[in-house]
Amino acid sequence: MEKLINDLKVQLIEALNLEEITPEEIDAEAPLFGDGLGLDSIDALEIILILEKQYGLRIENPAEAKPIFYSVRTLAEYIEKNRK
Amino acid sequence: MQICVSGIGVVSSIGIGVDANVASLASQKDGMGSITLFDSTHNLPVSEVKASNRELVQILSLPERNTYSRTALLGMLAANEALKDAEIDLGKLRVGLVSATSVGGMDLTYGFYEEFAKDNSKGRLRDVVSHDCYDSTHKIAEYCGIKGFSTTISTACSSAANAVMLGARLIKHGYLDCVVVGGTDALCKFTLNGFNSLMILDSQKCRPFDNSRAGLNLGEGAGYIVLQRTDTVSRKPYCLLGGFANANDAYHQTASSAEGNGAYLAMSQALSMSGLKPSDISYINVHGTGTPNNDASEGAALRRLFGDSVPAFSSTKSYTGHTLAAAGGIEAVFSVLSIDRGMIFPNLNFTSPIEGLGLTPETSFSEGNDISAVMSNSFGFGGNNSSLIFTKKDGSLHQ
Amino acid sequence: MALYINSASAYHAELDFKTLIPDANMRRRMSYVVKMGVGTAMDCIRKTSVDRIDAIITATGLGCLADSEKFLKSIQDSNEQLLNPTPFIQSTFNTIGGQVALLSKSHCYNMTYAHRFSSFESALLDAIMMAEDGEAEHILVGTADEKTPTQQKIMERLGAFRKGNTPDEGSFFFMLSRTPATECLGVIEGLYLGGQNPNGEFDIAINADKGYHTASAAAMFKGVEEVRSGAKRVLVVNGDYKIALKCM
Repeated sequence: MEKLINDLKVQLIEALNLEEITPEEIDAEAPLFGDGLGLDSIDALEIILILEKQYGLRIENPAEAKPIFYSVRTLAEYIEKNRK
Repeated sequence: MQICVSGIGVVSSIGIGVDANVASLASQKDGMGSITLFDSTHNLPVSEVKASNRELVQILSLPERNTYSRTALLGMLAANEALKDAEIDLGKLRVGLVSATSVGGMDLTYGFYEEFAKDNSKGRLRDVVSHDCYDSTHKIAEYCGIKGFSTTISTACSSAANAVMLGARLIKHGYLDCVVVGGTDALCKFTLNGFNSLMILDSQKCRPFDNSRAGLNLGEGAGYIVLQRTDTVSRKPYCLLGGFANANDAYHQTASSAEGNGAYLAMSQALSMSGLKPSDISYINVHGTGTPNNDASEGAALRRLFGDSVPAFSSTKSYTGHTLAAAGGIEAVFSVLSIDRGMIFPNLNFTSPIEGLGLTPETSFSEGNDISAVMSNSFGFGGNNSSLIFTKKDGSLHQ
Repeated sequence: MALYINSASAYHAELDFKTLIPDANMRRRMSYVVKMGVGTAMDCIRKTSVDRIDAIITATGLGCLADSEKFLKSIQDSNEQLLNPTPFIQSTFNTIGGQVALLSKSHCYNMTYAHRFSSFESALLDAIMMAEDGEAEHILVGTADEKTPTQQKIMERLGAFRKGNTPDEGSFFFMLSRTPATECLGVIEGLYLGGQNPNGEFDIAINADKGYHTASAAAMFKGVEEVRSGAKRVLVVNGDYKIALKCM
């Protein structure tokens, strides 16, 4: 799980162009949207792409993704639970 | 000074020319269908103009050996119809053009790039020279014989409404006597994939202002109106341009604020300019794309401005799809028809109102209504919100 | 009517983008041309002490080419599957104007002109009419265009550089106002369209008819430098368009 969390942090930094942040600086429990990293709806679309490209998981309805995308940890838990 | 609308012209998925569009609107016949203009892995409903580029070239009597972007072809057709409709004497008046586009010649550039990307000495140059926004404006001006000042506006989905505004101001400030204003955009693979990547396209026909709405359908087309000072007209004008405004939501790059701030500001400033009260508006042609975000935001703004008395309204994008930079122009034509013939257009595919807003659009077509003022909204990416108000020429609303 | 040029900014790489664009989330999404345009615009605003902006009017010839190309390439390379939306959103022509509105929290009039080599003149004309209407006090006008390897190659194949024209890119922004600030740089006497000519003599004429999109804005920026250095009247000529500047 911890390796997955770290991989996710790296993937997020790359996909979202978070140039000024290192993986160590991302708190896995902190909210990704609103507060915390302050991501927005366009970033949510990019995260949907990460899930599909890297982990083969498809999210059909972005609106359902809110609880999954709460934090890096909730994302990792979703991936662990659902990937083949 | 009064500025009136003396000509209208439109090409859309529901017809080439004003008469064809009116017939479709009246018979509730939408223009949705499958993608035929290019190959795509996506299976999405789109609203294409029912003519190939070849057919458009023939209708326009253009030399067949030349290469034209589809955006330019659609624009030439609609702008020319409007100009002829207005019976303008190009020799007597200073006539200009303000055209809008967001796609430009991307339909051709796409094909060019497929070759160029593999080998940069490849790709036909004639396919890339029409790329910029200027090209279609220039071609329209040349085709129509418009020699006065012309320019191109590109503010995404509010572009053509902004073109109408600039045209009116150019007349007011004495730079032109008459101006053809509106916009044109062709459906292309670039835009289709762009909107698809934003996940705001509906896989079904769009349902503007419906609680179950899931996104927009892309369309294409062109719509132009002719504006001139009322003392220069050669024929009885359709109506007046009573007011207009552009305001910025300044909330997010693509999404609209929940309270519809930009929309509210644009609508209320347009009303203020027209000297009308909210209760004077007979019909609103809403932006109504069918996306969860736009319709909720626009709905909130309508409630803020009109309270419990929101006028009759509908989204004609349920017929034409979202025609992007052309939308403000096509919908300006429909708004003018609304005043001139007392028409109210239905909002197709509607079943139940958005929860919490209680707004029900018109769902049937009618004409001969007493329409004295029509508001037309167009909202684009970058928080660019525009609202136009057309008013009856001989109404008691005017000073 | 006369419009006062209360500040002017030109893009250069040493602009402090972190301070000018304090929103890290906005900054990270920006392509080169958007950062260039937004940074220059914010620098121009920063140099004045206006408490509100009444109009933001931008111009561009080709818009955000790199983003457009990036998205185009991604469609072709991955056969329309799993495309990143960011380059598409950033490729719209009014992106710079929209982001300046966001950063300056301005709900005002916001317009973008894309009319090849006279985009800037269209923006200026809009600004002049805004000022004449009497309601807009401070109007931000500017332009941004980039050169990309693809565009350069295409221009080369089209023979655009045969006459020794140099391709260029850049961003220039001006804060125009109805009243002069203490630090006012100069005055726009007028914009002349359709081959019309202003009256009187000019100390310097700058030719902006160069075949690249930022030419007239660059020329106006240079013209402002000239009036500050002592020229009484400067004329910027871009084909049928002329901008007449004079010193304070």
